[in-house]
Amino acid sequence: MKQYIRYFKWYFVCVWVLAAVYAGILLLHGSSDAGGRTNGECLTGERVFDYGEVLSAEEEEKLRELIAKRERQTGCDIVLVTLDESLEEYAREREPYVPYEEFVRVYAEEFYDGNGFGYDGPSGDGVLLVDNWYREADGNVYTWFCAAGKADKKYNLAMMNHLLDVVYRYVERSPYKAYRAYINEFYHDMTGSGRNLYGAVGLRVVPFAAALLVMLLFIALHWNGEKGKKTVTAAAYVNGGRPRINKKEDILVNKVVTKRKIQTSSGSGGRSGGRSGGSHSHGGHHGGAGHHR
Amino acid sequence: MLFRCRNCGGNVVYSPERNKMFCPHCDGIDSEEKAGGDAGTECINCGAPLEIKEYNSTCKCEYCGSYMILDERVDGKYRPHLIIPFKIGKDRAVELMRQEFKSRVFAPDSFLSEATLEEMKGLYVPFWMYDYAARCDYAGTGTKVRVWTGGDTQYTETSYYHVERNLDIDFDRIPVDASIEMNDDIMDLMEPFDYRQLEGFTEEYMSGFYGEIYNMGAEELENRAKEKAARDADSLLKESISGYASLVQERKRMDLDREGVQYALLPVWRYRYRYQDREYEFHVNGQTGKIIGAVPVSKKKVLAYGGTVFAVLWAALSLLLHIAEVI
Repeated sequence: MKQYIRYFKWYFVCVWVLAAVYAGILLLHGSSDAGGRTNGECLTGERVFDYGEVLSAEEEEKLRELIAKRERQTGCDIVLVTLDESLEEYAREREPYVPYEEFVRVYAEEFYDGNGFGYDGPSGDGVLLVDNWYREADGNVYTWFCAAGKADKKYNLAMMNHLLDVVYRYVERSPYKAYRAYINEFYHDMTGSGRNLYGAVGLRVVPFAAALLVMLLFIALHWNGEKGKKTVTAAAYVNGGRPRINKKEDILVNKVVTKRKIQTSSGSGGRSGGRSGGSHSHGGHHGGAGHHR
Repeated sequence: MLFRCRNCGGNVVYSPERNKMFCPHCDGIDSEEKAGGDAGTECINCGAPLEIKEYNSTCKCEYCGSYMILDERVDGKYRPHLIIPFKIGKDRAVELMRQEFKSRVFAPDSFLSEATLEEMKGLYVPFWMYDYAARCDYAGTGTKVRVWTGGDTQYTETSYYHVERNLDIDFDRIPVDASIEMNDDIMDLMEPFDYRQLEGFTEEYMSGFYGEIYNMGAEELENRAKEKAARDADSLLKESISGYASLVQERKRMDLDREGVQYALLPVWRYRYRYQDREYEFHVNGQTGKIIGAVPVSKKKVLAYGGTVFAVLWAALSLLLHIAEVI
């Protein structure tokens, strides 16, 4: 046991230091208050608009309480809208050629800007989730998440998709749980308090795989079944350290030269290109992403 | 016989650290005198019965701890011509083993513990040392290849050589252990011994150590010596033919003539360790300190150490990634 402790002493110290640093950071983020809301032009104090009537009154109240707390911690307005109506007419009036999947985007942006949401001012820091339960003519149900101000800066497309994935994980079984997850995921993303990041598969797999590989290498390196090495050279028992050479002949007998034409290639290599997607941005201040089910 | 201290009457032994005879009872140096004659089957010092095995040339009285040298087994045909005295004492041998196996973290906890080291013994192992005159004659065809490019053409030049070598090699004192108890491969790995420290045999060097007479005669073991000589001669022959891309042998002849043989005792420390019903042997060259032996692996320790490496690394990497994310 003593040997074990002695061997791993510094490893344990490193982990404890990292854990302490991490805990400190979490504590710092968790306790920080973003300061008071400065938007005096917002048209409403409501944050939960359950037009789709998928939540009970009690659930709505609980969500309002949670949003109020998270808004203080993140410094962002957090808005939730549920619908159960076609947005085709609404969206095409404003953008005639908008595709089905972006009807909710048009609605979301109008709703956010129209109500003057934003923690620091109209159209300022905040997020909005529009979940339309109506099945549009293409057979899909659409959801849109849009971010503005500092939330827009923080979020990339992958983070938005991850947040919507979390919402969709629960939405069919329990809309309340799904919207709660939306609020909490947003909070974790903004404050970096961890839980959602740890949920990312890559972040879990990479340390696991690396640790497994190092463990196997460690075992292989220390599992030494060798008895010992032969350290006797061929000349070890030779009187004088080397043989007496009586005859040493290296006579050139024959020489043959062959030649071969070198094939040169005249073609040039091609290059394949790819494009990576990005988040949509309309009106210059909204970032957003949509999902359908 | 045994060596008794003139000052205190205790048993005087050879001390490798001091390179002198030493009395561990009164710290006397070179205070020995020969006592008794043939030990027979009883201790010269206390009269207790001795357990003497077939090939033992020394033995230790289990009752009084005195080391006895069996006269008739170090005399006549059993009298060694040469001996390399122990240059490394037990403490130094243990220290060397601890250094060597320090990094073997999977070794069981009791490995090299004081309790298991009590039985560590210093042994004089009997060896035959053979002298050979080897004559090697070789003829063959070697090729050298040169490749170069001119314009869009690659040229390959292959040169054929007639190769001949004739070597005389004098092998001095090729050692072959003459102990049945000692594993031949282990004894081969114990080599090399530094022959500059070979001395004419005297009984004093044996006091304090275990020893054996040769278990097999020089004729019986000669094939092993010949194999070693032939293998070394072949390597030296190959070393003398270098620079060829390929070599096709046309003629090869090797003659070995024995020119002499000597009987010698060489020093080896032996540590026996029992783990999970299996015995592991470790040998330390009593002259050079070279260590031979495979350390047993404790599966419990593999799990504990491997698991800890995994857990610590996983935790550290996860924390680092999280910290990077948060920042």
